[in-house]
Amino acid sequence: MIKHFLTLEWKQFFRASYFQKGIAIKILLVLGALYFGGSAIMLGAGMFFIMREAIPNTDPIVIVNNVIILWFLFDMVLRFFMQQLPVMNVKPLMVIPIKRNTVIHYLLGKTTLSFFNFIPIFIFLPFSIVLLFNGYPFFNVICWFLSVVFITLSINYLNFLINKNNAVFYILVSTIAILIGVQYFNIYDVFEPIGVAFNALYNQKYLVVLPMALAGLMYYINFKFIRNGFYLDDAVTKKAQKVSATDLSWMNRFGSLAVFLKNDVKMIIRNARPKQVLMMSFLFLFYGLIFYTQDTYKQMPAFLAFASMFVTGGFLMTFGQLVPSWDSEYYKLLMSQNIPYRKYLESKWYLMVVAVAISFVLSTPYLYFGWKIFGMIAAGALFNVGLNSFITLFGGALNRVPIELNVKAKAFSNTQGFNPTQMLIALPKFVLPMLLFYIPYKLINFETGIIVLALCGVLGIVFKNFFLSKIESVYQKGKYKTIAAFAEKA
Amino acid sequence: MISVSNLSKQYKTVQVLHIENLEIPKGQSFGLVGNNGAGKTTFFSLLLDLIQPTTGHIKNNDVLVHESEDWKPFTSSFIDESFLIGYLTAEEYFYFIGELRGQNKADVDALVSQFEDFFHGEILNQKKYLRDLSKGNQKKAGIVGALIGNPEVIILDEPFANLDPTTQIRLKKIIKELAETRGVTVLISSHDLMHVTDVCERIVVLEKGEVIMDLATSEATLRELEAHFAG
Repeated sequence: MIKHFLTLEWKQFFRASYFQKGIAIKILLVLGALYFGGSAIMLGAGMFFIMREAIPNTDPIVIVNNVIILWFLFDMVLRFFMQQLPVMNVKPLMVIPIKRNTVIHYLLGKTTLSFFNFIPIFIFLPFSIVLLFNGYPFFNVICWFLSVVFITLSINYLNFLINKNNAVFYILVSTIAILIGVQYFNIYDVFEPIGVAFNALYNQKYLVVLPMALAGLMYYINFKFIRNGFYLDDAVTKKAQKVSATDLSWMNRFGSLAVFLKNDVKMIIRNARPKQVLMMSFLFLFYGLIFYTQDTYKQMPAFLAFASMFVTGGFLMTFGQLVPSWDSEYYKLLMSQNIPYRKYLESKWYLMVVAVAISFVLSTPYLYFGWKIFGMIAAGALFNVGLNSFITLFGGALNRVPIELNVKAKAFSNTQGFNPTQMLIALPKFVLPMLLFYIPYKLINFETGIIVLALCGVLGIVFKNFFLSKIESVYQKGKYKTIAAFAEKA
Repeated sequence: MISVSNLSKQYKTVQVLHIENLEIPKGQSFGLVGNNGAGKTTFFSLLLDLIQPTTGHIKNNDVLVHESEDWKPFTSSFIDESFLIGYLTAEEYFYFIGELRGQNKADVDALVSQFEDFFHGEILNQKKYLRDLSKGNQKKAGIVGALIGNPEVIILDEPFANLDPTTQIRLKKIIKELAETRGVTVLISSHDLMHVTDVCERIVVLEKGEVIMDLATSEATLRELEAHFAG
């Protein structure tokens, strides 16, 4: 029986759309996977030495144990938003003569092979190997590593429950909130006992049975849960979403654009995929921290300009690059309805502008790094509004990949909206502002660079109608191709 | 209202549609029948400018469909689920279409309320998104969506499929009334010969992309069609 399942999986994997892509994309994907895998391994291997350098008085393994809970929390959040549960494929298996238990074991076993379960192996395996080479006791290290793996698996199964059962979700969120609150207000250092616990896992090698038991228990609970709900109208299907009442009539003040804006807002808040993108674009706000905190980059202000584009441009880039694709599920409707393309594009543009404005307001804490940096973010915001928005919309016209709105994107198996033209279009979004800043900066000074960058943005806004007309004609020209492409999956 | 001349559509070397000449006068209820692959949906897609004709053209109320967009305000359609917006409730969807067609909420409400018995209490006030409705109910919402905004031409692809018997009968009444009393040109396709002969004044049979029969509906039509399709 298992053999059948495996062949099914094999076919699903190799017949998936991302394997049907061109060779160039395959190479890029492999390179990407190698890069991220490599970075994880480097991080894992380097962690030991970095920590020994940075905090010479404490054993690196103790430091890791003290903060590892943060990693697990991060893992949990990441999974909640990114991990796609494999539940949907069960339906055809329900009516053929296979024992239910087998199907469920298969289902759970499949989640075990999730990409997310391999991240810790990529990081902690090299770390453990480095530990071994540095003369740490063999069994302790191995058992500790196994503990990490088992805890990861527990989180994997926990995520399944969280996604299926609201009660679990709320309990978990409130527990974490309370813990963070307790920590934040210095009532009690919750991280200390957790650190002690993880150190105990390392020191007492037999304690590895605890995480093992935990993983086993989580597996069992999941098994029970699915076993009891193994009906089409229960755990195995996607729940029909409750309607969220949204009164957006206040948006009517946007006149003829209001129809589209209202619809876009509903689209974003009612579908899994755009929500995910919204979350990602929020993370981009913190992108600046990587660059502004390091002295190396202070000497290379062109890179600061690069980072500034991301701080306010997260939504613009992640959402905007998929612009017609967001409406791919009902594109035929839009094309046969009484809709001028111009209005459609303009509404998307406003959406991006609003997003940049909100990001800009949220980025005020960057004032901490001084007015120069903040000025750069402001100029970057203007540039995003004035030019990058149009470049993004233009790039969208060349993007004809349908999107399933209410399905979360899978990490790494997702190449939607990923094609060479798209990458070429993306380049000027960063290179242009870097140059526009760097040249006047070299010739005159920092402030001039900022002003030039900002002025270019303003100029873009002034020529808005011109740009929109150009983009509109590109969309018009590609209309039939786009309809055909969107119809393929929908 | 609609005139087709020398229209053809080819994919690579395969010709999927070829209609030399076809005139559909205003207010006619026009039925299109044919087996799978006969070119029904292709024809409707061409009418809606969703695909490009290889040769020839369609004129909708003297507007060249593939060159101007001026046919859009008076033409509406429901072809398949891609004409629905899955994350909206039925009401929101109707209002959305209404706004696109220059109708305010009250107009839409007034129109939709006429279809209460058609909906059978399963569409309105359901607190459900369209994507979570059953196929039949989705279809009902889509069809009524196509009636919003006083269109002069309505195109429905297989409107009877997936509907329950009660709704099929109600839909037939609605379509007849549209053509007879309001002068709306209704184009429908169907695999159900009985329904088409009930509803349409004129029936065109497509086979491999060509018009092979063009009948004014009469008592004998159903038998004629059945004889043809029985081969």
